[in-house]
Amino acid sequence: MSLTDRRRGVALLVVLLAAIVGGCSSGGASSSPAPSVAPSPSAAASEAAASPSPSPTPAFPVTITDDEGTSVELAAEPKKIVSLTPATTEILFQLGAGDRVVATDDGSDYPQQATALPHVATFSSVDVEKVVALEPDLVVAGGLGFTPAESITKLRDLKVPVVVIYAPSVEGVLKDIELLGTATGTSADAESLTTAMRADMDAVASAVASQSPKPRVFYDVGYDDTTGAIYAPADDSFLAEMVTMAGGDVITTGDPNTYEIPLEKLIEKDPQLIILGTNPFYSPTPDAVAKRRGWDAFTAVRNGDIRPVNDIEITRPGPRLPVGLRTLASAIWPDVTLPAAS
Amino acid sequence: MAAGALSRDVEAGGLAAWVRARPLVVGAVAVAALLLTLVLGVGLGSVRVAPAETFAVIFSRLFGIDIGVTVSPATDVIVWDLRLPRVLTAMLIGCALAVAGATFQGLLRNPLADPYVLGTASGAAVGAAIAVLLPVQLVVVEFGLLHGLAFVGALASAWLVFRLGGTGGAGGLTRLLLTGYAVGSVLAAVLTMAMYVSGVELRQIFSFLLGGLGGSSWVRLVVAAPLIIGSSVLIMARGRSLDGMLLGDAAAGHLGIDVSRERGVLLALASMATAAAVAISGLIGFVGLVVPHVVRLLVGPAAHRVLPISAIAGAALLSAADLGARLVGDVPVGVVMALLGAPFFLFLLHRSRSGYEL
Repeated sequence: MSLTDRRRGVALLVVLLAAIVGGCSSGGASSSPAPSVAPSPSAAASEAAASPSPSPTPAFPVTITDDEGTSVELAAEPKKIVSLTPATTEILFQLGAGDRVVATDDGSDYPQQATALPHVATFSSVDVEKVVALEPDLVVAGGLGFTPAESITKLRDLKVPVVVIYAPSVEGVLKDIELLGTATGTSADAESLTTAMRADMDAVASAVASQSPKPRVFYDVGYDDTTGAIYAPADDSFLAEMVTMAGGDVITTGDPNTYEIPLEKLIEKDPQLIILGTNPFYSPTPDAVAKRRGWDAFTAVRNGDIRPVNDIEITRPGPRLPVGLRTLASAIWPDVTLPAAS
Repeated sequence: MAAGALSRDVEAGGLAAWVRARPLVVGAVAVAALLLTLVLGVGLGSVRVAPAETFAVIFSRLFGIDIGVTVSPATDVIVWDLRLPRVLTAMLIGCALAVAGATFQGLLRNPLADPYVLGTASGAAVGAAIAVLLPVQLVVVEFGLLHGLAFVGALASAWLVFRLGGTGGAGGLTRLLLTGYAVGSVLAAVLTMAMYVSGVELRQIFSFLLGGLGGSSWVRLVVAAPLIIGSSVLIMARGRSLDGMLLGDAAAGHLGIDVSRERGVLLALASMATAAAVAISGLIGFVGLVVPHVVRLLVGPAAHRVLPISAIAGAALLSAADLGARLVGDVPVGVVMALLGAPFFLFLLHRSRSGYEL
């Protein structure tokens, strides 16, 4: 009985966390923070691969190791793919495998063609029965609890190949794109995509790298109007890395995995700029943000430096990251001219 | 049907007595409901499978008979590996919780007792939370650390409450109940802390707390079944002791029942059934509290009637609720059960104005 009462309290916490993890679509894995995208060691090689030459060895059967370290064997090129996260849906479509995607989760809202596909998963659950009925030869799931572990186990028990993808860092996203390239027989496309993404992000990062002094940036991930709880990037999060690359001195929660930051701590860190990550589930106006209790202590609020950005492009670990980085960089450095997208 | 019988009884005064004198009729209705939920549960789901295909799968898998309907491998998996074990698991868990609930209510002479009254729920939840937080992936024949620690946690907390609360004396029951509450509170605090630090693993703990049958499989069913069926049968075999203890400890003693020993055995058996159920399906509420009351309203308090009919009715209720939950997009089964079951229970309670005692 006491449990029931407490569950109610906990439900709120879950909803909030869900919004954060869902919004970021990546969660916050511990990873060594890499402030900039490492230049591709095989840039020359990948440029060669980018030219339309057929792959030298037969691509299937192939055994790949997914982000959780599970070996997944794919006997032939997948013809029916189920994508269970918005990010992997974007990657698959960008790699030209979109016509082989037969179903997605209900958060897959991009690109336009993907929205017409049937949904077999919500944020909270996967309809295993529906997935099985589609007879997929590849299911791409999200790690870090994005796709419930129970559903992944169940699908694998039923001999459905499941590849679990999660990117703890920007470099991890690029690796994931290449992993999905191998899994879908589109390695050449994947490699040229990641090469272009690397180049684009490096160009943006180096354009703002020399700017100083770097403003103390608080990326507003979420706010609970009832309790006043404030959500910010965790230390090791993907989002913290993005803000750093975009030329900001990122304010994090001080813990590798925690997304909540106490108001006092935030006042002590005194953000000079608030980047308001808005998405369909969280879209307060800058005015509303400025009126939050205690927030007038921030330099950013006093100066009116609250800038809304499209959170999805910045936090969804997919092919639109360079777009997100541009958005973020121009929000932090509005006067810097960024190099044109390649 | 049963509700109709009761409602007319208020005026006529005879139908409730008629039903009460014929527990076999109530039992038969419960069995019919059970069979109906079995058929519907296997036949319906989020994917449409034709009845002929469903029969084809079941006949070929069960008896090796090909009834001449071609079935795709996907359909075969859906019917045989997803739906059937899930429906049977729902029945098994429903049976376990209803029998355990009836036992605890009778033993503790408390209408609010449910299978989790000895802190089993909190114990299992803490076990599950620890399993989720430990960076260990251990799977032995489809049973992960979560199942193992939930089972151990449930039994350990029941044992602790029993040791601390004791069983003897007139105040013994109150003491046992309050001990259960106190131990449960400590464990709940530990659980809250575990959830607070769990980060992205929170959802896994939360879904355990909500309970559900999505993880059902043949292997899990086969492992849990002997524990649950075994303890349920052993409880039923002790129906006379339960009846005696309903009269009070002194009266039971005069009937020749070794009260403290029997109470210990019954608490252990009911805790075992609860722990096995919780390990597989998480915390499912309502069924264990309400089904025994409904059955008592219909057939009276005698344990040899209440226990078996509760077992069947609990199985039917949980599998029906799970079917409902699956059909509306896999919402938590406890939600469906309480939304549909509680009004029915209120109706029965309201109609039986003659008064109702355990």
